Amino acid sequence: MKKKRNWFSTIIQSTLDNILEASSPLRRYRKLRIALLFAMIGISMIPLSNVAGLGYFQYEDLLKKSEKEQLQWNLNGAKKSIETFVGELQSVVNFVARDDRYEELLKQEALEDLFARLQEGYKGFVDLGVIDCQGVQRSYVGPYNLKGKNYSGQDWYEQANIKKVYISNVFLGYRQVPHFVIKVANEIDDTGRQWVLRATINAETLQEFTSKINTKAADEIFIVDDGGVLQTSTTSYGKVLDVYTSPDRMDDSILTVFAPLENTPWTLVLVKKGYIHGEDWASFQKRLLIIFLSFMVICLFVSFIIVSILIEHMRNSDKRNQEIQAKAEHSNKLASIGRLATGVAHEVNNPLAVIQQNAGLIQDLLEMVEKNKYSSTLDKSLLAVQNAVNRCKVITHRLLGFARRMDVSLEDIDVNELVKEVLGFLDKEAMYNYINIETTFSEDLPHIHSDRGQLQQVFLNIINNAIDAIGKDGVILIRSGTFDDNHIELEICDSGTGIDPDALEHIFEPFYTTKEVGKGTGLGLSITYGLVKQLGGRIKVDSIIDKGTIFTVILPIHYAE
Amino acid sequence: MQNKGTENMVEIDVLVVDDEEDFASALTARLTLKGFNAKAVTSGEEALPAIANDPPHVVVLDLKMPDLGGLEVLEGIKSFAPNIEVIILTGHGSVANGIEGMERGAFDYIMKPVDLEEIIVKINEAYEKYKMNISK
Repeated sequence: MKKKRNWFSTIIQSTLDNILEASSPLRRYRKLRIALLFAMIGISMIPLSNVAGLGYFQYEDLLKKSEKEQLQWNLNGAKKSIETFVGELQSVVNFVARDDRYEELLKQEALEDLFARLQEGYKGFVDLGVIDCQGVQRSYVGPYNLKGKNYSGQDWYEQANIKKVYISNVFLGYRQVPHFVIKVANEIDDTGRQWVLRATINAETLQEFTSKINTKAADEIFIVDDGGVLQTSTTSYGKVLDVYTSPDRMDDSILTVFAPLENTPWTLVLVKKGYIHGEDWASFQKRLLIIFLSFMVICLFVSFIIVSILIEHMRNSDKRNQEIQAKAEHSNKLASIGRLATGVAHEVNNPLAVIQQNAGLIQDLLEMVEKNKYSSTLDKSLLAVQNAVNRCKVITHRLLGFARRMDVSLEDIDVNELVKEVLGFLDKEAMYNYINIETTFSEDLPHIHSDRGQLQQVFLNIINNAIDAIGKDGVILIRSGTFDDNHIELEICDSGTGIDPDALEHIFEPFYTTKEVGKGTGLGLSITYGLVKQLGGRIKVDSIIDKGTIFTVILPIHYAE
Repeated sequence: MQNKGTENMVEIDVLVVDDEEDFASALTARLTLKGFNAKAVTSGEEALPAIANDPPHVVVLDLKMPDLGGLEVLEGIKSFAPNIEVIILTGHGSVANGIEGMERGAFDYIMKPVDLEEIIVKINEAYEKYKMNISK
């Protein structure tokens, strides 16, 4: 069955595939680093942005709400004071127009007297008139000649007959000056007929009053009638009697609140522009931005560090794995080469023995017959055969020695002493070649449990090799020391020609030699390698061309199978 | 060299057992030239009857042979003629095999290819041992 994958794992998988396909390891790590960095930043930034966004909008809503509440509160205050003002005017007129004053007020003097008193209290009164039940103005005080004018049929007159007290919208009327009318209707002496007291008030009075209560909380305060006609002038919505159009509802920066004024045809309007609490909002935005940015920087920094550590760790462990693998491959290769070599040696030994014995037999027989002119040539050629056989024998025997699991005979060994003994064999050769051998032996080098003969061979081989590497004129430095709690180390450093890196990989393989043909079997170091391994140690080699080579032999203090 | 063998008061009887016929015959010829009474057989199966018919003083025995191997032949010899000394000779033998042979009663072991002189020395030594075995 095919395994189902969701889109998320598909994305991850394809990203990983893409990364692993990258040609060079360096690019692979770089790609992986970028992908990880993005993932980590994404993981940390998404919730952070969410929280910041949530906080932003939540606080904005909160501010809007509180602002609106405040404006509403202001509106209520303003509404009350205007209502009080209008109510006062109304009650003054109402008081004057008592039932029993109809006859009195028909007299011009009485009306003039009343008007004068009214004007004392309220400058806004423009005129005053008494209208009889037919709608004819019977008496009038004011700047115009309106006595005898018939108002029947006019809207305000009809309204006043329905309602006892009526306040009109602001209008121009005959005078072409904005004004409004307060009008009180009353019965004439219980006759059922009505008379009306009409007071005209200049619209400027209303304007003055609204300007006075203009509060700090609002940018505009004004009054409109039912039809949206402005009753007072505004700074940005037009003059008195212009038609007010409320601003676009989508415009968040303008807040408008309305409240109907009781007992009047008017509605009070408060407008606040750029209404969000300016300072609070700005400082909140600033703080939010600072917090957000600093978190972002921290996230970036932490992500970067974590990713770097991770990648470094991965790279190191990959490198270690590769090294271990390479080492394992190398020793496997050496082991299989060793097996092959010994197998070949085994097979070659038998035919070699046949050649040797038959050549020997011929020689023996030749010794018994009379000498003739060919004798010396025959002897010479048989000797050459014997020599060749001997050379082969040396090779096969050493090869067999390479793989041989010889019994290790253990004893307590002072490696310093052992190396001195080995140097005793090589002193002369070094001297002939003008090679100076210097030794730095650690005095408290622990004795090790190992095989004397095999160790001798190991050091003999390496030091011999060093002498060959130098040729003539040079220095060999030998240093002993403790490697760790369980191992000692011995360094043999020569000032020879060095080994180039390609050759360095092969130097422990049997038959690998850089010496000229016939001079070396190419077995010395491979045998050395085998011996050191058999003794539980290991051997390292570092080399710089034309500077020299360092062989380091690390041996266990306690031999373990 | 030739009189080395003849120096022996008694001619030493040597049987060479090796499946490599060219080797066995050449070695036998050379040993004969040196004064030994040397014979050769070329398989393990032939070896035991040959020894039973005409017991030699010393056997030079190849370890690795097809069918009946050197170690089995060695055991056979030691079972019915413990006095006969056996020198193990092998082209394949590791030291461990040689040592195993010596543990089973072989006198010594030599690795191929080997100088005639070395074999003669070993045969003479083995013969000395043989004489001691007899006199016991």
